[in-house]
Amino acid sequence: MATVVQIENLRKEFGKVCALDGVSFEIQEGEWIAIMGPSGSGKTTLINILGGLDTPTSGRTIVDGVDVGRLDEAGLTRFRAEKIGFVFQQFHLVSYLTALENVMLAQYFHSTTDEREAQQALERVGLGDRLEHLPTQLSGGEQQRVAVARALINHPKLILADEPTGNLDEANEKIVLDLLRELHTEGRTILMVTHAPSIGSLADRRIDFSHGHLVPQLAPVGSQRR
Amino acid sequence: MFWRLVFRLLRGSRARLTVAILALVSGAAVISGLLNLDFGVEYQLTQQFRTLGANIIIAPKTTESAAESTLTNSALMNEDAVMGQVQRVATAKVAFAPFAYVIARVGETQVVAVGTWLDQLQNLNPSWKMNGGWISSRADAGQCLAGRNAARELHLVTGGSLQLQYLTRTSQCKISGILDSGAADDNQVFMSLDSLQTLADLPDKVSVVQLSVSGTPKLIATTASRLSAALPQFQVHPIRKVTEAEGELLGRIRLLIISMIILILALTALCVLATMAALAMERRADVGLMKALGGSITRIVSLFVAEVGLLGAAGGLLGGVLGVGLSYWMGLRVFDTAVTPQWQIFPITIILMTLVAMAGALPLRMLGEVKPAIILRGE
Repeated sequence: MATVVQIENLRKEFGKVCALDGVSFEIQEGEWIAIMGPSGSGKTTLINILGGLDTPTSGRTIVDGVDVGRLDEAGLTRFRAEKIGFVFQQFHLVSYLTALENVMLAQYFHSTTDEREAQQALERVGLGDRLEHLPTQLSGGEQQRVAVARALINHPKLILADEPTGNLDEANEKIVLDLLRELHTEGRTILMVTHAPSIGSLADRRIDFSHGHLVPQLAPVGSQRR
Repeated sequence: MFWRLVFRLLRGSRARLTVAILALVSGAAVISGLLNLDFGVEYQLTQQFRTLGANIIIAPKTTESAAESTLTNSALMNEDAVMGQVQRVATAKVAFAPFAYVIARVGETQVVAVGTWLDQLQNLNPSWKMNGGWISSRADAGQCLAGRNAARELHLVTGGSLQLQYLTRTSQCKISGILDSGAADDNQVFMSLDSLQTLADLPDKVSVVQLSVSGTPKLIATTASRLSAALPQFQVHPIRKVTEAEGELLGRIRLLIISMIILILALTALCVLATMAALAMERRADVGLMKALGGSITRIVSLFVAEVGLLGAAGGLLGGVLGVGLSYWMGLRVFDTAVTPQWQIFPITIILMTLVAMAGALPLRMLGEVKPAIILRGE
């Protein structure tokens, strides 16, 4: 398996606060990784750096062969469009665009739009009958499924999911997790931040953070799940 | 997808954008109204000033006050020579006629007899009031017109006859009408040029040529200089009181209108600016998300620029229509005259409003500074 993510001695400081301190690890293609840890432990900072939304103070972040730290603003923009699919806890859909248009928006910024493909992506997440609905007309679970369809539409190398079920009820949490499991089965590489050990246990591997450091792994999570 | 997004943006922020479009429509309405009045006022003033009579005089160089001189051989021009050149230079917007003057007698009373192209008198002097009828034939030897004062002194009435005597020669004509000019013309009688030249025994001689150029002071000056070039042996001079008064009045009105337009443009831009500043704050989250999805700032800002441009153009068009209607109403109410809609105002208003909307949209520039990581954290 090829290495999709390679992080070497990553450090990020916000003023005097050190959010990440010498973090190093690798993720192989097709892996589902759960990033866990308490609030303020550096999980979201790591996701932001991996997604090209933030830059590290030092260290290297290589995603699919691209050294993200060396990219300029325009390079980061292309990197986000081509390599990364984001799923956020708050869904972050554009309120005045329909479900279909929210998916097409990612296509538009990537290259050209294909309405049929966007429709198929929504059908895949079970929203074929909600294409023209605005986010306010969708439940939380449905909104998150639109976000998943949007994250997938450009066939990204890495899916970054920051607490994807944090705002969902139990039923919708199951739907979204089933979707992620399905994507994993298809060979997608997923990096998921979560607080919940039960959700983290679904991943192949678990990386624990504490105060910006990696916590030594005792046993592979995947073995517990299986 | 681009225009689909632009229209969704417009729909998504319609509450705020309604304020902006109201400002743009109001601004455009007042500006197009003022512009229409400006164009209309120029036309109306030009027409009004033309009623004051001739604005260019051609006279022999030897005469000091040719318009009032009577026929003497030293103060005359050859009719064919001067009129040939005038006809060559004059455009359709110019009314003109030669004039010859003689002090004739009616019985024992002296009166200034004027020979001219009778059919052109009304074109040259539209403000004259006529009791009776104008004479439509240029060389009608049988009819003449009498000024109000001359008619009173000589006991002339419309339909009556007038016999003029100059030295040993006489000329008789029927009074077609009594004119009231409110000026020295009221003391004169007007007959055909041929009749006067025969009476004075000076065939083909004229004292002055009067021209009434319908146009701006600039056009009058241009016509005068062209005539000067064509007739170097004569004096060609615009009647400065008329042209300068017209020019000065037009200049003042135009300055007032331009000042108001600038003020309104600034106020409209400020209103749009305030709305767009609020909108920029509202859209920070959307822009942060768009950036996170890989949207370049150029692509994102082009959406907003198109949105604002559409807003400006729509405001300009709607306001333009309203403004033209407003100026028509104002023309009738304030100036007691209909101001004809000037269609060139629409593109001017649309361009101005689009530029104002763009200027007012400057706060959207701050969206370029949005950090997606911060926005997505909900800060």
